[in-house]
Parts: sequence; C-alpha cells; structure tokens
Amino acid sequence: MSADPRFNGCDYLMLGFDHELRRHGFAGNSCQIVLELGSAISPDALRERLRKLLERYPVLSARPAGLFSPKWKLPRGNSREPQVRVHRDEPGLRQRIVNEPLDTNAGEIVRFDLIELAEGRVQLVFTWVHALMDAPAAEHFLALVGREDLPLSAAHSLTPCRVRLPLRERGRVAWKSLHQFDRYCEAPPRSLGHRHHDAVPLLQYRVEKFSAEETARVRANGVRHCGILGDAQYHASVAVMELHRLYQRLGNASPSYVLPVPVGLRPKGTIEPLFSNQVTMLMVQFLPEHLSSVADAVAALKTQTGHAMRGGLIESSVMLSEMFRFLPRPIYMAILKQGLRGEICSLFYGDTASVSPLLTTFLGASIADLTHVAAVTPSPGVGVIFYHFHGVLRLTVLHLSTVLSEAEAAGFAANLRSRLLEP
Amino acid sequence: MVQPPEIEAELLAFLRREVFAPQVALTSETDLIAAGFDSLSLVRMLVFVETTYGLWIPESEITGTTLRNVRSLAALVSRLLHER
Repeated sequence: MSADPRFNGCDYLMLGFDHELRRHGFAGNSCQIVLELGSAISPDALRERLRKLLERYPVLSARPAGLFSPKWKLPRGNSREPQVRVHRDEPGLRQRIVNEPLDTNAGEIVRFDLIELAEGRVQLVFTWVHALMDAPAAEHFLALVGREDLPLSAAHSLTPCRVRLPLRERGRVAWKSLHQFDRYCEAPPRSLGHRHHDAVPLLQYRVEKFSAEETARVRANGVRHCGILGDAQYHASVAVMELHRLYQRLGNASPSYVLPVPVGLRPKGTIEPLFSNQVTMLMVQFLPEHLSSVADAVAALKTQTGHAMRGGLIESSVMLSEMFRFLPRPIYMAILKQGLRGEICSLFYGDTASVSPLLTTFLGASIADLTHVAAVTPSPGVGVIFYHFHGVLRLTVLHLSTVLSEAEAAGFAANLRSRLLEP
Repeated sequence: MVQPPEIEAELLAFLRREVFAPQVALTSETDLIAAGFDSLSLVRMLVFVETTYGLWIPESEITGTTLRNVRSLAALVSRLLHER
C-alpha cells in the first residue's frame, strides 16, 4: 500500500485559502481549466480513461487529513471515481459549476463537466482543488487525461518544494519574510472589503481575448518597458496600476498595494512532481507614487525583485510556508492576515506564460480554446491570470460578487486591456 | 582577468544546479529561452553574476542575441569585465 503523500508548504497554504473562502460562504479554493473542443467526445471514454489514471494515481480521490502533519489520505479499498457530468448549455451554467464546491472531505478533489454546445462542439470544464496541484501541473495532467500516447511513469512524486538548507538554518531564513511584512505595514494595503454585503457570495470571471496583432502589441510594450523576457513584469505592473485606478474611482485608494509574484520552483524542463504546488510568492509593494506611470511601476517591481533575490527571500518564503504547514488552518490564516494588518494581498496574480504544448487534442478532439479560472480570497476579492494559448494572449479577470459589482469588474477588465495595448 | 571559457563553465554549473532540471542536457549552445529560461531565471542569473564577478549586467545589454545561449552570455560578461 502506498504511503499517504504529505503536503508541502504551498499545498497547505492553498488549503488554508480553501478554508478562508468556505468560511465566507464561497465554494472554496478550486481552479478550472476550460477546454473548448472542436468535436464531441464520449463521456464513457472519459470515465474509462479516468478509471485507469485513478489506478495509477490514487491521490485523485484522496482527502486532506492530519492535524499537525497535513497529508493526502489515500483511499483504502474502493476509490471514489472523479465525476463526469454532462450538461446542455444554458445561461448561468458555467457560473453554477464554478461556484459548486468540491466535496473535498469525501475525496472529491477533481471533477469534469462536459457542456454540449451547438454544432456538436463540446466544452470540457476541469475543476480541481488548488491544494492538489498548480496550474502548469494541471495542464500537464489534463494532457495525460486526453492523450493516451503520453507516458505516465514520470508524473507522480511526493517530494516537497526543494530547498537545500540545513534544519538549523531554516527558522532564521524564514524570519526574513516576516521582517519584510513589518516594512510593508508602514503603509499597509487596504482592500475593498465586502462592499456588497447583500450579494450572494459568488466567484465570477470574464475572459479578455487578444488577437495575434494585439498580442504582438502587448509583447512589444513588454519588451520596451521591461526588456526581453519582461512580459510578466509588464502584465503585473499594468494590472496593479489599473487596480489603483479602480480603487480611486471607488473612493478607496489604498496606502499601498501588495502583489504576490508567483515564483515557479520546478526546475526548468520538467513538470515533476505533478500532484504538488511547486510555487512560492515574492511579495512586492507598490506605493501610490509608483503607480503614476508604467516606467515607475516596472522600476518598483524590478528593484524589489532584485533585492528579494539578493536577500534570499525566495528561500525564506518557502521556509516560512514549510514551517506554517503544521499550524491548524484557521490559525494559519489569522497569522497570515495579521502580517499585513488584515489583508492577504491586494490582487491575486498569475502568469502561466504559454499553455503546455502537449494540450493539442483531447480524446481525439481538437482543442480550439482554453481558459484558466482560479478562486480569489474574500479580501482582496480580485485577481487576474495571464496566459498564452496558440501564441495569443488571454486574460482572465476574477472577482467576488461581495467585493465588486459586475459593472465595476467589467470596467476594470476593459481598462486593463486598453492599458496593456497602449503605445 | 577571467576568461570567457571560465565564465562559461561557471554559468553552466549555476544554471544546471539552480535553474534547469537534471534531465535537460544543457550545453553552452543550448537555446536558453526555448529550454524554459524565464524572467525570474534571468534575475537569478543576474544576481549570480553580480555575486560572483561583482558586475551587474545593464538591462540594455540583455538582448535576444546575448541571451541566446551560455556561450553568448559568457562573452557578454567577459566583455563587460574587460571594459570596467
């Protein structure tokens, strides 16, 4: 019998956010990849494929367990197979699916929904709990589900984030991150909070699709402002600038904005370990004076990223989450929020760069489009995800109904799009 | 003065150890960006160069040509060290 896989620090942080979301009446910290397929696929063929994968990866029906040593409790005996549900397309369906909680404690940590569209086309909605894996791993997993020709052997590993530090060093290193928060609290970020107290707690999202020509313009802006490989820095800087403008319009300008910049910890050229979040966060603070121009915002981001690398803040951030994973979730979240005077951050931001080149077909159907969706915590309640599919830019703007209205979120998305394209 | 082959060897060792997976057969001529080198890898490498050689590579020097592979990067570092 295989051992129950342990959570690493980032997995457990994601589970902590799940607790935070459910506590406020939201579905939890789950993510989605939505594939638009060029032709219909058989739900039974998908179920059969998942059955095979479940034999190879029993973690797909595990449940989180262990109070002081969090792990995935693998099923003993019969596994609960991932659900594959079939729907006819109708208004509000996708919003219902994204807001339907996974029954994590019963081992439901992945789910598949097939939506029948016109002309025989199908949308596949893959939902997973974020604690199980990050977005690049999920893309790879989805490719494994959809393509039997890909090898499975190298995809499963239980190792935590790799940081090579002697045990006695770890506490000292972790402490650096906490000191960073102390500095940020000289002008602590203040998010919008629950402005719409009467709103039903729902996660909502919209996707901004850029044409090939628009993608080239955004890329050129990225290179101009941030240099080669600077796309992500450009996206992040512009997103925070637009957030500041949104806050100003709403009469809630924050003393500062703190952005968690995700740092992928997987060595380049591998996706292993598959069922794991191999990410840590570098926290970057923008003061309002950093947000008057793209150049200023980029400079603030670059300066802080450089300092963070020199100061070993990546290792520190990993160590901190590795130490905190032994805390009960409510206490973990309380400590986390205390660090920034009640806030977790000002904007959830993801930039997965190019979608996995393995995602070309799914059970024989071509993949015509792809959307990433992720939950955001009740405060700040706003998030953005950038990614490229077939070489063109996609931007998913996420918000919680308790924080922004539909019109406010639409305005934010449209303004962000315009600013990214601005010469 | 440090010579380009020495810098190349140092950069290769760093990238193999800290950035790329062991299964990536990284050589001096591997196309770095095609192999997955990204913006944060770049910052890590810049900090490594700064720590090792006391040199911060100016942004204007980081182009598609200089980032093509480890050999071109080593040539850049060597040139900047000589110009100092």
